[in-house]
Amino acid sequence: MKNLVQKTAFAAVVMGGFGLTAGTTAMADEAAPGLQNRTIGYVLTSANWGLYQTPDGKQECPDGFNEGPREQFKALYPNLGTVDGTQLERESASRYPLDKEDKFPYHDVKGKIGIGLNLDGKVGENDFTSTDGEKGIDNNLYRAIGCTRLFRAPDGTYANFTDLWVREMNFHRVLVELTNVDSLTNDPQVDVTIYRGKDKLMTDATGANIMPGGSNRVDYRFGKNFISHMKGKIENGVLTTEAADVHWPWAVFLGRPGAYDFKGARFKLALTGEKAQGLMGGYSDINTWYMQLVRSWSTHHSSYGGLSQPSFYRALHRLADGYPDADGKMTGISSVLNIKMVQIFIEHEGQKVAEAEKAQAPARH
Amino acid sequence: MKLVFKCSVASSLLATVAAVALASCSQAERVAKAPAASKVASVQVADYQGTVARVRRMTPEQYHNTVAYIFGSDIDVGSPFAPLRRTDGLLASGAASVGVTTGELQQLQRSASSIASQVIDKGSLDQHTPSRRDFLIPCKPVDETAPDDVCATKFVKEIGRLLYRRPLADARVAEFVAGAHKGAADLKNFYTGLAGVVEGMLLDPKVLMIADLTEQDPAHPGKLRLDAYSLASRLAFFLWDAAPDDQLIKDAEKGLLFTAKGRAQVVDRMLASPRIEQGTRAFFDDMFGFEDFGNLAKDASVYPMMTGATIKDAREQTLRTVVDHLLTRGDDYRALYTTRKTFMSPTLATVYQIPTKPGWVPYEFPADSPRIGLLTQISYLSLHAHPARSSPTYRGKALRERLLCQKVPLPPANVDFSILENPNPLLKTARQRLEAHRANPVCAGCHKITDPMGLALENFDGAGRFRASEKGADIDASGSLDGKEFHDVIGLGQAMHDHPQLTSCLVRRVYSYATGGPLTSTDDKAITALNAAFGQSGYRYKALLRMIATSDAFYEIVEPTTDSKTGEKKAAALSSDSAAVSK
Repeated sequence: MKNLVQKTAFAAVVMGGFGLTAGTTAMADEAAPGLQNRTIGYVLTSANWGLYQTPDGKQECPDGFNEGPREQFKALYPNLGTVDGTQLERESASRYPLDKEDKFPYHDVKGKIGIGLNLDGKVGENDFTSTDGEKGIDNNLYRAIGCTRLFRAPDGTYANFTDLWVREMNFHRVLVELTNVDSLTNDPQVDVTIYRGKDKLMTDATGANIMPGGSNRVDYRFGKNFISHMKGKIENGVLTTEAADVHWPWAVFLGRPGAYDFKGARFKLALTGEKAQGLMGGYSDINTWYMQLVRSWSTHHSSYGGLSQPSFYRALHRLADGYPDADGKMTGISSVLNIKMVQIFIEHEGQKVAEAEKAQAPARH
Repeated sequence: MKLVFKCSVASSLLATVAAVALASCSQAERVAKAPAASKVASVQVADYQGTVARVRRMTPEQYHNTVAYIFGSDIDVGSPFAPLRRTDGLLASGAASVGVTTGELQQLQRSASSIASQVIDKGSLDQHTPSRRDFLIPCKPVDETAPDDVCATKFVKEIGRLLYRRPLADARVAEFVAGAHKGAADLKNFYTGLAGVVEGMLLDPKVLMIADLTEQDPAHPGKLRLDAYSLASRLAFFLWDAAPDDQLIKDAEKGLLFTAKGRAQVVDRMLASPRIEQGTRAFFDDMFGFEDFGNLAKDASVYPMMTGATIKDAREQTLRTVVDHLLTRGDDYRALYTTRKTFMSPTLATVYQIPTKPGWVPYEFPADSPRIGLLTQISYLSLHAHPARSSPTYRGKALRERLLCQKVPLPPANVDFSILENPNPLLKTARQRLEAHRANPVCAGCHKITDPMGLALENFDGAGRFRASEKGADIDASGSLDGKEFHDVIGLGQAMHDHPQLTSCLVRRVYSYATGGPLTSTDDKAITALNAAFGQSGYRYKALLRMIATSDAFYEIVEPTTDSKTGEKKAAALSSDSAAVSK
């Protein structure tokens, strides 16, 4: 038990303190102003896929970490060969993973502890238990990526870069607005809307943190596909929402736009007038997830991170656990994002223009 | 007869600049010169004396603005000037009692050399720099590798007239052209020869120093007045914070400045120019002591929202408010302390805790907001506070000294700050801590002067952010100002609005700024008359500028008084309005 507590504490540290306990900051002693007109907005400042990590990884990855392109290349082509018969052939496998058989072993997470939400409302045999003891945690994406160094914090480039891009790239400026809020402590019914914003974030005087209290405009034109609505409630300062499908913007290298598609996504966030932090979980569309990875993570990143994309493709499909298609194949994989947000004033500039355009749209055709 | 300042004539430019001591310049001999213009009509405010003639060094901003006007705003001037000493409330007045040190001269020489190089730069596609020589030099030499006296003469006359703020004498032009000729011949480059001339001009005391050259006033026999070009300079540095433009020098040449009608036309043109904003910003930046923003730093752990950008925007917000209120809207100066109209930037909005849009946008605080007037803007609140806490004392002191022209005595050398620096934890608010501090009678005297109005701003922390309480204790923002009591900052704003010294202080500062130095007893009548006229105008700032710029006192010159013991000529003592405030 003691061991579990120590490891849990470590996990909280390596994940950057993504807990549900609202922390305090050394602020001046003015009252938090975030909730105005029964509305409060937050902007995403940090996002990482929820991975429970122990220091050496042996608890969750007893078989070790996965091998990447270098190791697989060496095994496939011990005598080397022509460029098109070796390098190009292997590189194409990332885009067309089913063209060739893949015999390499793939290490799933074997641990019992996981970060996430109980998405299906059940406590299954293979479900994780959260660090605070909640059973039935669904997070098969963790099972798929948790033993691959690329995704593990703090050294995995995926874990590092994706979090940086949340701040730096305007494209995935995720805004979450709570309306009809009577209290940030307890409110049985609030409305939650996700928007894509279009303005930069401002760092504070330390240069390390995003300042609360900024303003950000909703992108009603190019960001309207990212608008999602949810119903929620606040209990003891924690917001939980009902499930909704969410198209979540996430740009990658050089600002190239991208997104993840979640089915049945929901929030669990600890709220204050200055910040919100916690989890956003749902069933990630596996094809979108894979393409988002393949189109942006080049071989050198994958090599250093021990990620074989063709092998991962198979793991993703094997571990998918939700939203079956007509043939019964699962299209979604349970997943969770650790997210941090700070309070922001959301400006609905352009809403009327967007509504007018929408109203006029039929007349144009 | 022509008026000549002995100190401004030098054969060796570098040596002379280093040697210039302005106190001696103010005693320079003058010889009369025949008036170039006709009689000057009196203006609205009559019956007062003129001002003393001064030599003052250009302020850094004036130098920048002048170079920008003549050579373009993209010229990098650097920072060649040492800081000025605030004198009688203004840095600009400190320029009237400052010399040029050897170290400063080296900086000036580097800057002049750099400017000259940029002026003759032929540009580079690789470095994305323009060919400035093509539009700054009004002609092309016959041969770039050889002297061209005709082209050099044209350039020297054109640039020299603007830099020296008056046409150059033919002999001086010939000297410069000869210098350009030699440089071009020695270095086999026409433009390099011109660069040496530009560098020399920029180091000339007659360029760096603004000298009030005088002549006999034909309208008032026996009295002196500024000559036309000095008057043009005084007008330009007053209203635009820069040297005269080409048109103003032409107006001076034509004698337009010595007729009431002509001077009114000139002043109205200057007041209508967009450059009046530059002048207004410079004056209020000086009067408000905003140079302190250059050293302002807040404890990031206490005020994480106070970034460098926030501090920069705080200064800009107040200057934008002033320009909008006084120039664009033409409103009553007093209402600057009660207005809710301002401008907002994203970084400031995080401190004001309000939504905004990107860039600078007009903003009006709601009627129930505690934000009212300049005193509740982040600039004032953060500038006059400690790095990690507010300061009712600093805020009260600044209010009295900067805005009311009063003097607050310095704290005694043996003052005990321990109650403030290591406060009793039971003393939660600044009011409680200051009350404990004032228990020491040594401290009480000054704090009675500063704290009652400074405490009215305690609803704003050291960053200027609103707070209803401090360490869990409700803040009492009541206070008083010179007999007027109020319950909160709204009352303080109104008390400032109604305070008679608010407007008289502005008049003093503007007049001092306009005439290039601290006020003397000779200015008393002018100040009295201007106070009355300013009130009649409804306290309109532009009207005040016009009254001063078109007044007889603005161009009439009086002799400095003579010290009966030493025989030294000096300005008379400061007039009584600046006396220390009564305890």
